[in-house]
Amino acid sequence: MTYNAREYAQFRNWVFLLSLVAWIVILLKPGHSSCCVSRRSLESLLALTSEIRLSRDWGLMLIAMMAPTLVPVLYHIRISSFVRRRARSIALFALGYGAVWIAAGSIMVPIELGAAWWRAPDSYVPAATVAVVALAWQGSPFKQRCLNRTHSHRAIAAFGIAADWDLFRMGLAHGLWCTGSCWAVMLFPMLLPDGHFIAMVAVGILMFCERLDPPKTPAWRWRGFGTASRYLRLRVCGPRSCPVLFTFGAHA
Amino acid sequence: MANYVRNNAWNNGGDFSNPDLLWYAKGIGKMMSRALNDQASWWFYAAIHGEYVNPRTAWYPDPPQFPAWRFITSPPKVPPSPLPDQATLDLYWNQCQHGTWYFFPWHRGYLIALEAQLRQDIVSLGGPANWALPYWSYFGGTNQYQMPPAFREKRLPDGSANALYVAMRYGPDADGNIYVPTPAGKAAHPGDPNFPYGAVTDNSMKNNLFTGTNSATPPPGFGGPETGFAHFGETHGNFESNPHDLVHVYVGGGISNTKFGLMADPGTAALDPIFYLHHCNIDRMWAVWNTSGNSNPNDPNWLNGPTQQFVMPTPGGQAWYYTPGQVADLSLLDYTYEELPTQPSPAAPILAQRLATLGASAAEQEKAKSIPAMRALPTQTELLGASAGSLRLGETGIHTSVKLDTGVRRKAVANLAMASATALPDKAFLKLENVRGTFDATVLEVYANVPNNEEREDGGKLLVGDVALFGLRRASVKDGQHAGEGLTFILDITHIIDELHVAKALDRDSLEVSIVPNRVLPGEAGIQVGRISIYRQAF
Repeated sequence: MTYNAREYAQFRNWVFLLSLVAWIVILLKPGHSSCCVSRRSLESLLALTSEIRLSRDWGLMLIAMMAPTLVPVLYHIRISSFVRRRARSIALFALGYGAVWIAAGSIMVPIELGAAWWRAPDSYVPAATVAVVALAWQGSPFKQRCLNRTHSHRAIAAFGIAADWDLFRMGLAHGLWCTGSCWAVMLFPMLLPDGHFIAMVAVGILMFCERLDPPKTPAWRWRGFGTASRYLRLRVCGPRSCPVLFTFGAHA
Repeated sequence: MANYVRNNAWNNGGDFSNPDLLWYAKGIGKMMSRALNDQASWWFYAAIHGEYVNPRTAWYPDPPQFPAWRFITSPPKVPPSPLPDQATLDLYWNQCQHGTWYFFPWHRGYLIALEAQLRQDIVSLGGPANWALPYWSYFGGTNQYQMPPAFREKRLPDGSANALYVAMRYGPDADGNIYVPTPAGKAAHPGDPNFPYGAVTDNSMKNNLFTGTNSATPPPGFGGPETGFAHFGETHGNFESNPHDLVHVYVGGGISNTKFGLMADPGTAALDPIFYLHHCNIDRMWAVWNTSGNSNPNDPNWLNGPTQQFVMPTPGGQAWYYTPGQVADLSLLDYTYEELPTQPSPAAPILAQRLATLGASAAEQEKAKSIPAMRALPTQTELLGASAGSLRLGETGIHTSVKLDTGVRRKAVANLAMASATALPDKAFLKLENVRGTFDATVLEVYANVPNNEEREDGGKLLVGDVALFGLRRASVKDGQHAGEGLTFILDITHIIDELHVAKALDRDSLEVSIVPNRVLPGEAGIQVGRISIYRQAF
């Protein structure tokens, strides 16, 4: 019914565990950079683009990188649904969300392929180009608008087909805002000739941290690590304390 | 020993023979003489709570109109410029914590900082060095639900303008008569149609859990839900909902969507000097709750505060960073209150009363009297029913049907039938989700309609509770701090469910619910409710 800290923590930990498993699968997969193309033969490149491979690899990527950012909305769906259909509600949301990212992948992977064919061996030019674009997008008000929308937890239908459709649509909407927010940083590791797994992890951390920030008025500003850095500072250094509290004003 | 004592604003009849109010007025006058960007100005302090003076914020009205500060009818004459630099804006302004377990401690620090600035100004004007903020004890003696008379005078005794007087303060009846409709106010005016409400209560003081829920404390807890930094969180704590929000909206009052009292909207509320007397009483009641044996959280996440630390300006110009832990207890601070009564425990165990209503045996009722069941934690909370689709409130409200799930409903019916001292009966809550709109100056009365109501005096309409839409506008802004999804309210309907169960009317497919605004809504108010849901809480 409302945010329950203990239940939320349990739910969050399960999602984090799922994400961790996905990361491990990605790391251990043969040619684990399958989401990201390095120099390959024409045959392997074509094999990479098969629908099944695309869906599976993108599915893994979504679980690994995106699942931790979805904890708040997934918990909202959980507490807003009847117990008997909680799993179904979350699955329908995931379906809608995943559909958007699969569609995004169908655009981003050809970009990756095109760059692989165009660039000189081990060239960082495509990745560097996208990095510049990603930096500009990261600081833009457009990105902020997308980020703000990812914090939206609207009311959802509770019964029957109406609930199913509502959750699927909610997944589509969140997928749309998420891709709007993250498309540039997601493309960057795909274009790296080397170190793409580490880059994926770094991008995953960025996306998680920027979701910790509350919605803000869209404007040109650096964003991403505000809340996370303050959190670390608080944990490491403790809260700022000020001795002036009892020297205010004049005393009796 | 405390250096300062905050006194009742109704001392000496609540007029300017009360020196606390006289010097309060003079101190505010001096603060009002400073510029908007002066950290010692009245306007700067008001903006710390919330503001509509910076046109670059997402919640600044578009097109520009009230509640933007430059459209406020004077007095006070609110300066729209100059704005502080961006770094100062980001550090201090728009900080107020609502819908969060930080509600109480943030406002305590806010009052401490303002009081210090006022005291310095008061001393500079020749006032007492031990001056402290007075409090408006609207639950106090015979007439104290009324606003102290000093606030309606336009002039001080020396003929100068009274800074306590505000033009945009309309009251519950929108006629300038300012009062809080407490049960005492209603009792003092039997049969008076101008006192129809009686909805402002201190019932939440019976809660015994600061955050969360148990058998004695509805969600999200006395002090509010656990959150991070929350300049307008989604769900207000029990005490924040009633009396805090209701006092804001009733005192401010409203005439239209573009003409409502400053107190009714958090972006203008702190411009009205009555705000600080209201919050002084809120702070005092928190202290009473503590001295009555109820504990604040000992969770480091609460004690250390959120990652974005609370900060206030000081008379010396330094920034004062503080945490909830530093202000959690009056014994840590240098002030106290004239009255800090310890409230008694409830006279009769609530569980025993419920078992009597539900028809449990006399033996179980007797057993319940001796069982300390007041802190049992729920084992499960689940959705019981929900309305379909978004609901738009018309000028006079709305009537709708909340469909109940068959399986969950039968669980609830079975539970209530078997209720005993050891098998605690379910509790039930009604949730108004994602309430969006722009007219904060609204109180919604929520009713559940029972069937076979021909013989009932109340026509079958059982009052569930009242909610004040304080913070609605800002919570509905898409790029605001709440992603535009509005406010969510939780009301305890356990007594409704009990009555339906006793009448053998609970095992039905739906519950009829009515939402009635406290007055006819202006056509442009556009208040929407995302969903009405009912939850069952099992123990």
